[in-house]
Amino acid sequence: MNIFLREIKSNIKSLLIWSGIVLMISTVGFAKFSAYADNPDLLAILDNLPAAMLEAFNLNSFNLTTVTGFYGVMFAYFGLILSISAVMWGSDIISKEERDKTLEFSMSLPVSRGQVVWAKTAAVLFSSIVLALFTWGAIVVNAKQYQPDSKFYEFVALGSLALFIMQMIFLSIGILIACVVKQHKLSGSVAVSLLLGTYFISILSSLSDKLEFLKYFSPFTYFNAADFFRDAKFEPVFVWLSAGIIVIALAAGFFTYSKRDLYI
Amino acid sequence: MNIFKHEFKMNFKSTIIWSLSIAVLIFVFMSLFSTIAADADLMNEAIAQMPEELLMAFGMNNVDFASVLGYFSFIFLFCQVCLAIQASNYGISLVSVEEREMTADFLLAKPIARNKILTNKLLAVITNLTITNVVVWISSFVFLNMFRDGREYETKTLVMILLTIVLFQLFFLSVGVVLSLLMKRVRSVTPLSMALAFGMFVVNAFSGMLGDSKLELITPFKHFDPNYISANAAYDTPLVLISVSVILISIVGSYMLYQRRNIHTAV
Repeated sequence: MNIFLREIKSNIKSLLIWSGIVLMISTVGFAKFSAYADNPDLLAILDNLPAAMLEAFNLNSFNLTTVTGFYGVMFAYFGLILSISAVMWGSDIISKEERDKTLEFSMSLPVSRGQVVWAKTAAVLFSSIVLALFTWGAIVVNAKQYQPDSKFYEFVALGSLALFIMQMIFLSIGILIACVVKQHKLSGSVAVSLLLGTYFISILSSLSDKLEFLKYFSPFTYFNAADFFRDAKFEPVFVWLSAGIIVIALAAGFFTYSKRDLYI
Repeated sequence: MNIFKHEFKMNFKSTIIWSLSIAVLIFVFMSLFSTIAADADLMNEAIAQMPEELLMAFGMNNVDFASVLGYFSFIFLFCQVCLAIQASNYGISLVSVEEREMTADFLLAKPIARNKILTNKLLAVITNLTITNVVVWISSFVFLNMFRDGREYETKTLVMILLTIVLFQLFFLSVGVVLSLLMKRVRSVTPLSMALAFGMFVVNAFSGMLGDSKLELITPFKHFDPNYISANAAYDTPLVLISVSVILISIVGSYMLYQRRNIHTAV
């Protein structure tokens, strides 16, 4: 419990910075939205477009004149920001002990290595939950001025859940990397390259139909806002895939960390 | 000179890795060009019938995947993300690494002025960044010509896009240095540089959309927007000047801050 509280405290500054970034992005985003909100010109254009084209460009779900559609467009960016914070927290919380030379101290405490890792995981999990709730709140508060309907709140709730699962995936991957990589200086870079790699894969998979199979390799594509807007639920395959990644990554992290040589 | 050599060597491996990854990135995306361009031809016909406002709303008014440079501008944005992370990594760790690894007292005990240390360090990372820059130039030209599928492009515009890399790198480098000096202690570099680079990237992503918001003027992704350059064959001069002044202010500020910095040591 002490480790848990200690880690939450040490993570507070970073949590505040990331909350600031989220706040900035949602404010900039919704300031942009004021140009679209119920814009009659744009609505008239949308009405005149053939139905097939609306389908092709996802304009039905992402009708930018409604606040719901706008959130659908912004969803990807929130996903990116929250994933970065999660993977950074995950890898940092484990590797920082080696970097700051505090490892000997924490390992001499009367708790097992596994317990240390569990407590640290719980602490970053707590930070991620706070950030996810903050994001949710920032969106709802910023959207209030446009009087959204109840469907918007349901959509945002579902979106926030998707964001949270993405956070969990990257958090557990970050922890796994820091637990497995022996050189503490490398773990941050490995986490970054993994994040960039999966992000670029998600871009590639959206470029062409022939590359769609790539979406299984990138957590950024597991939750498509257009899809869960239409179906009001996630695709089960990806929920299971996410759960699998989280469980395997955490378990593998704990096992290696309990056994590996530590850098002192 | 010793400091320069040491710094250069320290970052050399990471420079090679970054350069190769960006080259691979350009290769992978460019190799898909012919497939995507064929789709895009069909899409362009559809887009041509769509009204301008709608395209602007989706940021599609400048994007043309059927043309070599249109597609390259799209790729270049992702190169910029990598370049931004690399440059801010180097910038943030430039002087903070000494304090983190308790080597600052050793370095500062040498008979060299702090100004000179900072100059040497800056020159060393700028050399590193230039290596990456050159690799991006070469791989852009090579892969563009390899995969352009017989389509023509303006060499001058491509050169204009690639020329922005220098200032773009300097922006993140100098902002990184000044940020690290404004902080009392930098514990770890990567989260900070990720926040800086991706924060700027996401803010820029909104700038393609219709509607006015001044906040996006802070991001260099907007200052050196490849889509703008390829569409207009010109720079957005006022925005470029914002970048230049930020670079100058950050560098001058870094020298002032480093002169007076209270160095954290082990003892």
